[in-house]
Amino acid sequence: MIVPARERIFAYAILIAMAVLVLIPVVAGSLTAFKPQIIWISSPPVWFFEPTLENFEFVLITRQNWLHLRNSLIISIGSVLIALVLGVPAAYGFARFRFRGSKGLMQWLISLRMIPPIVVGLPFYAMFLFLERATGLGLRDTHLGLILTYQTFLLPLVIWMMRGYFVELPAAMEESAMVEGYTRIGALWRVVLPVVWPGIVATALLNFIFAWNEFFLALILAGNNTSTLPMAAGTYIVRARVEWGNLFAVNLIIMMPVIVLTIILRRQLVKGLTFGILE
Amino acid sequence: MKVVLKDLVKDFKSADTVAVNGINLEIDQGELAVLLGPSGCGKTTTLRMIAGLEQPDSGRIYIAGRDITDLAPKDRRVAMVFQNFSMYPTMNVYDNIAFPLHAIKMDKKEIDRTVREVARLVNIDQLLERSLRQVSGGEAQRVALARAMVRRPEVFLMDEPLSNLDAKLRVQLRTEIKRLHQDTGTTFIFVTHDQEEAMTLGDKIIVMNRGDIQQVGTPHEVFFSPRNAFVANFVGTPSMNMLPGSLRIEESGRMFAAFPGFELELPRRFAAGLRRMSSHHVIWGIRPEAIKLVSGPGDNCVPGVVELVEALGSRDLMFVRVQDQLFGVIVDALDSLAVGEACHLHFDGAHMHLFDADSELSLLLDEKAKGA
Repeated sequence: MIVPARERIFAYAILIAMAVLVLIPVVAGSLTAFKPQIIWISSPPVWFFEPTLENFEFVLITRQNWLHLRNSLIISIGSVLIALVLGVPAAYGFARFRFRGSKGLMQWLISLRMIPPIVVGLPFYAMFLFLERATGLGLRDTHLGLILTYQTFLLPLVIWMMRGYFVELPAAMEESAMVEGYTRIGALWRVVLPVVWPGIVATALLNFIFAWNEFFLALILAGNNTSTLPMAAGTYIVRARVEWGNLFAVNLIIMMPVIVLTIILRRQLVKGLTFGILE
Repeated sequence: MKVVLKDLVKDFKSADTVAVNGINLEIDQGELAVLLGPSGCGKTTTLRMIAGLEQPDSGRIYIAGRDITDLAPKDRRVAMVFQNFSMYPTMNVYDNIAFPLHAIKMDKKEIDRTVREVARLVNIDQLLERSLRQVSGGEAQRVALARAMVRRPEVFLMDEPLSNLDAKLRVQLRTEIKRLHQDTGTTFIFVTHDQEEAMTLGDKIIVMNRGDIQQVGTPHEVFFSPRNAFVANFVGTPSMNMLPGSLRIEESGRMFAAFPGFELELPRRFAAGLRRMSSHHVIWGIRPEAIKLVSGPGDNCVPGVVELVEALGSRDLMFVRVQDQLFGVIVDALDSLAVGEACHLHFDGAHMHLFDADSELSLLLDEKAKGA
C-alpha cells in the first residue's frame, strides 16, 4: 500500500508524539539505573553524568537477584511451553469440531480470563495447602506450583487466540493431507502448524509477558526458593525509603527480555496479530 | 476401481453436514461419474463419505470390492481435489506435489522423477520452483490435480474443483480433466452444481436432490428422458418450460393437456402412463429448443406475443406470452422477433414431457422402473 508523503508525515508525527509521552518516564527511570547513588534523587534531576553499573552489580550479585531472574525465566518459559503444548491442540479441536457444550466451554474459558488474580490467589493457596496435607505433594514455593497456577490465565488466552487462527484456515488444507496419506495429527503438524506459526509466536509472546510481569499470584504462592523478579523489585521499596537506582536497575532487567524479544520477533508478531486481515 | 455405495445414510442430526437418505450407487471401473445437484442436495456429503472425511451413520462403501467404510482417509487409496485451493502455502509447487509421496516414505530420487513426470502431465513443469504466491488460480488447481495424481490413486474425487475459476479457465481445465481421465483410465467421481459441466464431462450423471438420487444415466438420458419433474427442470439451460395442467381424454382416445385458455394434444406414447394415473393433474413440459415458430395456426399451435428477448450469441432466447403462461423459446438469431410482435408457437408431440402432478414421476416410466 502506497501512502502519500503528507499523510505519512502526519501519521509519523502522531506516533512520535505518543511515543515520547510514553517513553519519558521509562527513559528517565532507566537513566537513574545507571546513576551513582548520590544523584538518584537530586533536584533538579541530573541529565548528564558518568554512567555506572554499580546498581546492577548491587542488585544482581550483592542482593542475589540473579536467582530471581533465574526463577522468572524458569517459570515464564515453563508456563508458556505448557500452555502452548496443551492449548494449541485444544484450540484446533475447538476450531474444527463441534461437540456438545463446546460453545459453553469456550465462553467459560474466556470468563477465566476475566477473573482478577486476586480472586484466585487465596483459593489456590488453600488448595496447595490441602493437597500438601492430603497427599504430601508440595506445590507451595515450587516452580511447578506457579507454572500450573498461571495456566488458569495463559490457557484461555492460548486457546482463544489460536482458535482464531485455525478457524481462518480452510479445513480442506488438512483434509487433503489426510486423504494424501497422513493422520489428522500428522496433517496438523506438517501442514497447519507451519502456516499458523506467526500466530503461535504472537501468542507465546503475549503469554510470556503475562507470566513474566505477574506479581500478585507470585507474592502469595512463591516463597524464598521461587520468588520472581517483580517481587525482587518490591524489596527496594522499604517503609519510608525507595532505593530508586536499585529499583530501576531491576526494572530495566525486567523490561529488557520483553523489549528484545519483541524486536526480534516483530515481523512474526505483526503477521500473527493481523492474521487474516491483510493479504 | 469400481465404487459401490450401499444404503448410505448421513442424517440431519449431524451438524454442519447435509443429509443423505440411504443412497445406492455403482460406479464402474474407469468411469467418469458426475454427482450433480443444487447446493444442499447431499452431493458433497456423499463425496466426503467416500473420501473418509465424513463418517456415514449407516451403510457401506466398497472400492474394488474392498469394504472401506471404516478405514481412515489415508488408507483408502483415493485422491481428492477441493473447491477452494487446498494448497500448502508454506511449500513451493514442487514440495506441494511431493508431499503425498513423503507419506509413503518414497526415496528422494523416485520422488523427483514422479513429481516431474506428473507435472509434465498437467503442464506445470515450468512452475515447479515457484512459490504459491506466484501462481494463478488456474495454475493452483493444476497443482492440486498433480498432487492428487502423484500417488496413483484408485479413485479420483473432485469437489467442484472448477467453480472458483473464471469462465474461460473453467472450460479449458474441464477439457484437461477429461483428457486426464482418458489417459489414466482411473475412476473419477466429480461433484458439481453446474449442469453444463456435468453434461460435457460425465460418462454417467447422478442427479441428486435433498439427499436422494433422482436419476442415474448418461448425459443423453438425463437430458432427453428425465425420470421426474426435478431432473427435467434442473438439467438444461435455459430450463424446460413446465406448466401444470389437467388431462382430458376424448372418447376417440385422443388425449389433451388443458391449460387456462388453450389445450394441446398429447402423443400416443403417454397412453400407458396416463391409464395408470389416479388423478387428472399433470405437469407438462417442453424444452425451449423444441418449440418452433410457425407462420399461422395449425395443430398444437397457439398464438402469443413476444415479451422479452435475450441474445445468446448465434441464438436468441425469446419469452413469449401465451394467455397466462410465459414460454422460453430458443430460435436462431436470424429468425428472432422483436418485443411486442405476435407469433404462433408449435409444440411437437415428440418433444413433450409429461409428469404425474402428485408423484412428479415421468409418465414414460414403466411400472418396475418407478421403484428404482
